[in-house]
Amino acid sequence: MNLNSKLLSFLFGSLAIVQISFAQTPMDALMMPKGEICLAVVYEEANWDHYWEGTALRTNGNIGTFNRKMLMPMVVGGITDKINVIVSLPYVKTAATGGQMTGVEGIQDFGLSLKAQLVDKTLGPGQLMVFSNLSFSTPASNYLSDYMPFSLGFGANELGIRGIGHYELDKGPYVRGSLAYLHRGATEAERDYYYQDGSFYTSTMNVPDALQAQLAIGSWFLQKKLRVEATFNTIRCTSGDDIRSYNVPQPTNKVDFDQVGGFAQYYFKKDGGLGVLAYYNHMLSGRNMGQFSGYGLGLTYQFKAF
Amino acid sequence: MKIQLRYLFLFASFCVLTGSCMEELPTRLEYEGYEYAELDEDAGNWNLILLTNPEQVSIPNPAPAGSPDLNQELQDAKTKIANATSAQRESVKYWTNNSLLRWNEIALELSVKYNLIPGPNPDGTYTLPNPADPSATPNFPFAHPPYISRMLAYLSVAQYDGLITAWHYKKKFGREAPYKLDPQISSAYSENGLRSYPSDGAVIAITSREILSVMFPLEKEYLAKLANEHLESLVIAGINLSSDVEAGILIGTAISKTVLARASTDGMRNAQTPKPISDSIKNAAFERFGWKWDNMESPQRPVGLTPLFGKVKMWNVPTVEEVRPGVPPAPGSEEFNENAEELKRYAANLTYEQRRIANFWNDGLNTYSPPGHWNRFAKETAVKYRLSPVRTARVFAYMNMAIVDAGISCWDTKYYYHYPRPIQTIPGFKTILGTPNFPAYTSGHSTFSAAAAEVLSHFFPTDASQFRKWANEAAMSRVYGGIHYRFDAEVGLNQGKAVAAYSVAKAKLDQAD
Repeated sequence: MNLNSKLLSFLFGSLAIVQISFAQTPMDALMMPKGEICLAVVYEEANWDHYWEGTALRTNGNIGTFNRKMLMPMVVGGITDKINVIVSLPYVKTAATGGQMTGVEGIQDFGLSLKAQLVDKTLGPGQLMVFSNLSFSTPASNYLSDYMPFSLGFGANELGIRGIGHYELDKGPYVRGSLAYLHRGATEAERDYYYQDGSFYTSTMNVPDALQAQLAIGSWFLQKKLRVEATFNTIRCTSGDDIRSYNVPQPTNKVDFDQVGGFAQYYFKKDGGLGVLAYYNHMLSGRNMGQFSGYGLGLTYQFKAF
Repeated sequence: MKIQLRYLFLFASFCVLTGSCMEELPTRLEYEGYEYAELDEDAGNWNLILLTNPEQVSIPNPAPAGSPDLNQELQDAKTKIANATSAQRESVKYWTNNSLLRWNEIALELSVKYNLIPGPNPDGTYTLPNPADPSATPNFPFAHPPYISRMLAYLSVAQYDGLITAWHYKKKFGREAPYKLDPQISSAYSENGLRSYPSDGAVIAITSREILSVMFPLEKEYLAKLANEHLESLVIAGINLSSDVEAGILIGTAISKTVLARASTDGMRNAQTPKPISDSIKNAAFERFGWKWDNMESPQRPVGLTPLFGKVKMWNVPTVEEVRPGVPPAPGSEEFNENAEELKRYAANLTYEQRRIANFWNDGLNTYSPPGHWNRFAKETAVKYRLSPVRTARVFAYMNMAIVDAGISCWDTKYYYHYPRPIQTIPGFKTILGTPNFPAYTSGHSTFSAAAAEVLSHFFPTDASQFRKWANEAAMSRVYGGIHYRFDAEVGLNQGKAVAAYSVAKAKLDQAD
């Protein structure tokens, strides 16, 4: 398989979820060979004018349309042919068109991820691949997580472990599935009491763990210079409370969603160099979060470093 | 073994990396039963708040030591103790020998639970909670700061008058506690020798249940269950017999009636006005001063929060007018502009410390509000000084009377001057805190906090500087948060102090010191 294509799908896998997940978690099926490095920058913009209070979809005149912009630099490197490392550091800006609450901006979470290829074998008319991925992210600035929905992130460390299976026909079409468990730590509020189905006399909030799954169907075109993919993403927190009636969210909430997306990438040359990507995502259903729709545009540059 | 260690190490790294493995977090004030600094045996002589004489509530003479009735009660108590389930023993630990603190905590939690502002209907109108039909949507009550402050005052006054009455009879009858009467019974708490007839715990359980059931009518069953557990724990703890508990129930029931009679006629039912009255209040201010506050929410709320809370009957201040501050600077005046510029500077350059202060004291919707926050401080301080139940009740009664008086005075000022908020006067102004649905001048946080701090400083002079520092911080938190001008906060602090002076003056004459 072509290096560019590997790289780009690798990147995309990690981006599909970004607009609503606060840590980047690569979940595609491809690997970069030893010594290859890719620099990438992605701009993403997402909006919602409806949100789920618990599971009830509603609007709020004091928010109007919520907007979230993100600029994410990212570096991907092949440590060996079978082990890749991914580093990212997004800058996020939030604002709302309604109401009088001010938006915020700043550096969000530093993400570090290692991916290892466990299986790579020919099966029938295609190739079967299995990967495992360990990811870690941590807040990279002093942002306040307890300022939802404007806060830059949930303000806690996250450790994720993921399994990925990918089957690709030699002609181009492929299907991919992944499943991850995301363990989140605690975040610190600036108040020393909060209500989560009862009293908590502390500023420490436990952010719920989550299960995340992705299903993708895609194919290569134009001698593998263009790739198009459709995705379905889902997240289910394993615990957490619901937003109460006409109340603000908080980091302890059970945040779930189902999201569909479309994605395309194109690279100009076959061996390294410049590439572009674009994607669009939309949430179908959710719980305790905004119904985001958003797009992303990215530029990538790949080269042999060692 | 080696493999197990490796897994243990992996698990530990997992926890270190994420900062926790679902930490056990405190859900209540962490204290246990303790030895009282003083028994306050003469507290039966202290001045009552609403009652005039502790013998207004009469209880039967207790069975004397050695009598068959008492022996039977001791026998029953021993059986109950021997058969106590682990849940009942946990309950003994939970309630402690100063259970007022637990009931105050329950009151605060219910305040938070009901501190949800009604949202708009799909057609843009708002429906208010209906006390006649509390379970309709939105539920009654909306426990906002004035509501919470008033609720806490009634709770604390009922507890206090109840305990003074209990202490009066404890001394009068002098009946020893079961652990003194029978060597086979031991106290779950420190054996302080407090006389046990009538049970002070039962007085607290019943007054708290009765007051809170009226304030939070949908919680009646929940409160009854808690009170039953509490009453049950008194005998299992070895500190009361069933006749002690029965006498405490009599006192608690009678006193709650007196206290609730005041509550039903204190003017609160008229505090949330219909729109025509609210508009006339607004117009009066506009004619008088040339400005008016408007709600800036979308859709706009037609009526501010409790425009006539300022007319609610005060506890210790003779008339609300005598603590009403002077006229604030007119919007557009030089003094006003300086204050507005300060807010813009904070909005543009807020430090992390200022942000922390703004959020720490926010105590907005979905919280126990500033009155609750000060009750929390009072609880921690009562434990710190190991106050007896009756002395604890005294602190809460005077503090919460001062807090609600401060709220009444503040609301009177708010709707008399009807002063616009910064988001109304400063074009395009955005804030990190939500702006509440009532006029700016004076700041509720400042008046509540100064009043609470002054009363606590009177009772705990060693800690006075800390309380006053907190009050000042609470006041400034609203300025950092962009929802109050500095003059709202500073005048509010003085107002709170002036209001508290009445409660402190009364406390000084109450024969407790």
